[in-house]
Amino acid sequence: MDAALSRNGRWAMRTFFALVVVFLYAPIVILLIFSFNNSQVPSFPLSGFTLHWYHQFLENGSLRGALETSAIIAAVSSVGAVVLGILASIALARRRFRGKAIASAFLLSPLVIPFVVFGVSLLLLFHSIGIQPSMFTVMIGHVVISLPYAILVLVPRLEQIDSSLEEAAYDLGASSLQTFRRITFPLILPAIASAFLIAFTTSFDEYAVASFVVGTRVTFPIYLYSALRFPDQLPQVIAVAVVVLTVSLVVVVAAELGRRSAERRLAL
Amino acid sequence: MLALFSGPHGFTLSAWHDFFHSSIYLGLFWKSVKMSLIVSALVVLAAYPLAYYLALSGTKRKYVLLLVLIAPFLTSYLLRVLAWKVILGDEGVINSFLFWTGLRSSGHPISALLYSRFAVMLVLGYVWLPFVALPIFVSLESLDTRLLEAASDLGASRLQAFRRITLPLSFPGVVAAFLFVFIPTVGEFITPSLVGGTSGYMYGNQIVDLFGTGFPDWETGSVLALFLLGVIAALTAVFSRFLQVRGATG
Repeated sequence: MDAALSRNGRWAMRTFFALVVVFLYAPIVILLIFSFNNSQVPSFPLSGFTLHWYHQFLENGSLRGALETSAIIAAVSSVGAVVLGILASIALARRRFRGKAIASAFLLSPLVIPFVVFGVSLLLLFHSIGIQPSMFTVMIGHVVISLPYAILVLVPRLEQIDSSLEEAAYDLGASSLQTFRRITFPLILPAIASAFLIAFTTSFDEYAVASFVVGTRVTFPIYLYSALRFPDQLPQVIAVAVVVLTVSLVVVVAAELGRRSAERRLAL
Repeated sequence: MLALFSGPHGFTLSAWHDFFHSSIYLGLFWKSVKMSLIVSALVVLAAYPLAYYLALSGTKRKYVLLLVLIAPFLTSYLLRVLAWKVILGDEGVINSFLFWTGLRSSGHPISALLYSRFAVMLVLGYVWLPFVALPIFVSLESLDTRLLEAASDLGASRLQAFRRITLPLSFPGVVAAFLFVFIPTVGEFITPSLVGGTSGYMYGNQIVDLFGTGFPDWETGSVLALFLLGVIAALTAVFSRFLQVRGATG
């Protein structure tokens, strides 16, 4: 007898699980359907197949500009978050120092600070030291938001690695930089890749903080948010939504599978 | 945060005084807390059986299924909210479907679907559900199933074993899951501003509006933001042992 679940219980839970998955994916499927619907308003009955909305968004210069801005901000801020994350994680996982618990809590605190509060305080900070809002200010905000995720991915990976490998390298005369480059870095590379990916997608999708510190070049989420006020833009926004959601689903799944097989290969 | 006290009159606590004596701001805060509590409770309740199924049913594909469950959370937040705006509107997918099939006469949409408290809570629940299953899954996954076998050998029913063993042992995961939804949703402003209308207006929207272009009042806005931060910091401190992230807190 299975002690956790009866036969009926298993059946009920499997059904419930399936229903929840339908609930989670149905809105995305609905967007997919209406992105091909030949009507200005997304409503039933469906009125024929068209690729018009996809054409329209490809030809929309300001939308493409916003995507480009977000890609640049996401790339720079994720590199920043990962570099800082590696440094912080090595300190947290390998070193003993006073105030480590406080340092760790401080580094992870953005996870529990509401974005609206963080956005407001960044706005006030930049305002009081006279920095104009720009792509740079958004990048700063996104580095802070992404850093805890990078640390949460990197620290457990560092703790998995047998530190005697690093000690052996030191004993054989390697400098700490050489040890990092030849031993630690290759071993944590899968974790670095997923930290980078998490930071990139977080930044690319981030609206709340960016809305307080964005300059004249708007990011993709900010463009989307303002486009939602104009009904004539809705169909092409739906088309963009489908593209972005599909790409991010594929990337997320591929990354997870890739990380798992890479960590299996490096299993120590 | 320095700008907080350096208003036109130098250091003053008048904005704090006004805040604690204003029924509007505190009322709005309680409304947000209530909405957020309901959402968190319902979402945890729904996520528990999902996590239980994945962790304890012995299904071979549990990590694949977990990925299926969590993947939507890792895609665009804004776009998932947008999807619901398309679905719930007066001329949206649900209403137009009802007109089309004749279940409701056209011109009489169910307008409470969008721009309501219901819409905000539905969308927040939708957005956070996948994520919440994760901490519960982790706590159930680490449960030693031999305990359950022992309980059943000693004559306990499955329900008894669940109540006396599984539930208490997974409780930290449940608390963590609850806080992981409650903390971000109580200060939420994007979802209410997109699907909430006036009745779904939340505390976070008030903060944004005080920093907005209409009638900006940065001083009051800062007080509201700091108050929210204080409440959440207190919550985090009280429940910190449930929120401990293994390893990272060394």
